Amino acid sequence: MALNDLFAGVTPRGKIAFTAGLGALLLLPEAANSYWISIFTLIFWFAYVGQAWNVMMGFAGQLSLGHALYVGLGGYGAAALYLHLGLGPWIGMLVTVPICAIVGMIIGWLGFRFGVRGVHFALLTIACAEFTRVAFDHITSVGGSGGLFLPVVSGGNNLWALRGAPELYYYTMLVLALGALALCRIVTRTRLGYFWLALRENPDAAAALGIPLLRVKLLAVGLSAGMTAIGGVFYAFYYNNLFPDQIFSMGRSIEILLGPIIGGIGTVFGPILGAMLLTPIGEATNLLLEALGVALPGTKQVIYGLALVLIILLRPAGIWPWLAVKAGLVVPPGDEEAPQ
Amino acid sequence: MSSDLQGKLGLSRRQVLIGAAGLGATSLIGAPALAQSSGGPLKIGVLLPRSGILAQAGQSCARAEAIGASVLKGLGYSVEIIAADTESNTDTARARAEKLINDGAHLIVGAFDSGQTGAAAQVCEQRGIPLVVNIAAAPQLTEQGYKTLFRNFPTSIDLVKNAFPLMKDVFATAGKTPTKALFLHANDTFGMANKAAWDKLFPDAAMPFSMLEPISYDPKAQDLSVEVAKAKASGAELVIVTTRAADAILIVREMVKQRFEPQAIMSPGSPGLYDEQFYKVLGKYSDYATTILPWYDPKGSLSQQVQAEFGKLFPRDKFEGHAFNIGCTLDALLVAADAHKRAGSTAAPALLDALRATKLDTHMMIGPAITFDAKGQNVNFSSAVVQNLDQRPTVVLPKGSAEKAPVFPVPGWQARG
Repeated sequence: MALNDLFAGVTPRGKIAFTAGLGALLLLPEAANSYWISIFTLIFWFAYVGQAWNVMMGFAGQLSLGHALYVGLGGYGAAALYLHLGLGPWIGMLVTVPICAIVGMIIGWLGFRFGVRGVHFALLTIACAEFTRVAFDHITSVGGSGGLFLPVVSGGNNLWALRGAPELYYYTMLVLALGALALCRIVTRTRLGYFWLALRENPDAAAALGIPLLRVKLLAVGLSAGMTAIGGVFYAFYYNNLFPDQIFSMGRSIEILLGPIIGGIGTVFGPILGAMLLTPIGEATNLLLEALGVALPGTKQVIYGLALVLIILLRPAGIWPWLAVKAGLVVPPGDEEAPQ
Repeated sequence: MSSDLQGKLGLSRRQVLIGAAGLGATSLIGAPALAQSSGGPLKIGVLLPRSGILAQAGQSCARAEAIGASVLKGLGYSVEIIAADTESNTDTARARAEKLINDGAHLIVGAFDSGQTGAAAQVCEQRGIPLVVNIAAAPQLTEQGYKTLFRNFPTSIDLVKNAFPLMKDVFATAGKTPTKALFLHANDTFGMANKAAWDKLFPDAAMPFSMLEPISYDPKAQDLSVEVAKAKASGAELVIVTTRAADAILIVREMVKQRFEPQAIMSPGSPGLYDEQFYKVLGKYSDYATTILPWYDPKGSLSQQVQAEFGKLFPRDKFEGHAFNIGCTLDALLVAADAHKRAGSTAAPALLDALRATKLDTHMMIGPAITFDAKGQNVNFSSAVVQNLDQRPTVVLPKGSAEKAPVFPVPGWQARG
């Protein structure tokens, strides 16, 4: 696919905005302090895993509420390979990503083969994440409930070992987020992407058209789980320690899907915009409360929750579809044949 | 900004937007923290879970800030405390640690939970800023290779290791020894870690009793009658528990109901048995439960000073309910302030050198002078035997700090007034 195809449906103004935004992000570590670098790293991480979740729900219409499972499996897998066999995180990804994709497809197969749909399928994904969490509490070779810790490595940046200064993690996560964006953009414009679209909009009609629904659904789950596992590998090497209670938690699964919901489910820019809004809203609330001298713990969460409710009430389809048209960044729906 | 106000200020919408962007950019770039120069008071960033699932413990620890401000000043230390909330979340802990350092913190104290402490430790290591851990028991924190981390709290292994000799002391003082013990524990993170440490150390501890088959349970369970019935049927004379408050209450209730009267209930370092809720719900049945854990020295002059200050600031609360969290956090603040005083500088390298040479005699928790080994671990951290007597956690051992003598075996449920 040519670069031009990646920008199909994007107006010249949209292309300029994207290039300017990307340029600013590339230069940001030159100007920003490490606090903001870590905040943007977190934004990119949520944009990335949000994009991965979006593949399954946004493109193929299959609701997962247990994506923390793949973050945890990816993180634990790569960290264990690093600790026990000395394999670096990138090699670890080669092992954990296919495993997570297969685990996702097995869960998907169990659900789809036996007609578990909608909220019941979502419950199945939660159950899988929960029992994996409990299992990891008892697997002593990866620390059990006491956690798995990676050794601290002093010295300069080492991309191969994913060890170094905040800038290293910033650029790595930025590249991963951009890669996920490009991949999703490409996939949604392929035959498979159109099958997903048909499946999402009307499964019965899609089946009537001869679309192999089970295979198409499993591909969505597999791709989504595999992508999420890469996010998990990054998480393990960024935070240096893993606890089953935290990495497999239901709260993490919810955090992953908030970005796409706020930004716009089923759009490739939605998860990015959602992540770009959510983390800064939290930080801005903190800054505001500090400026006002409010030191009441939990106030941030209340304001944050209210902001989310407001956004969802005002823009139930997410902010990106509205913003993109309003700001003239994309060709309005109906004027362009490709999905945006 | 309203259009009226824009008009009064003579600003166009574009100018307002540019101004706002400029303000944002200023915050984004952030001048290097001036406070990280070498003069002035020590700015301590206190990182704690003040909201979220660990809020109760985090807020309890945070009371040490208010008390510490006057106590540290009284001791001749010059510190300024800036607070941050981890929201009981690892991601936030990392971001908040960055923010504290950018806001000029010369040193971080925190963060109650091992996962959040680990995330903050990563940041402190990258920035070369010292981190003094108040509470976090994961042994790996001081085994990972951090050069800027100092922990004034025992590891989960040490927590259990310290319990063995003190248990023997209880039996020696009472002149009675149980022959069979049973481990009844929650199957959560802490419960499993505590049990694993017990299993690892017990064979070499030369304890006078044998261990029966352990019983684990879900701490969120609403009914523990089966587990308690099993424990009773085992014939255990000593019940060793790892609990939280809610399940500790369930266990004792069932023991009373089933008339299971072992010689004692003892815990090697878990919460639950000395929590305010435990006393409120169980009344007289909460008495005699025993916990062996790091504890404040009730006879120490600093503890008494802190207790008096606590009474002034929080008159409606019981000091004992917060003393553990306050003691650990205040001692961490003391370690930081003492290092600053000896270093005569707020520069990180000087603070790190001073922390490595710490020998702090005056502190709130029971134990010898605080010192750190090459890995940053205080290996001299002691525990105390804390028994509930008259519905109050009371130090019964070591003798130097004891308020009363230990009661063992404990009176039966019906024999309590």
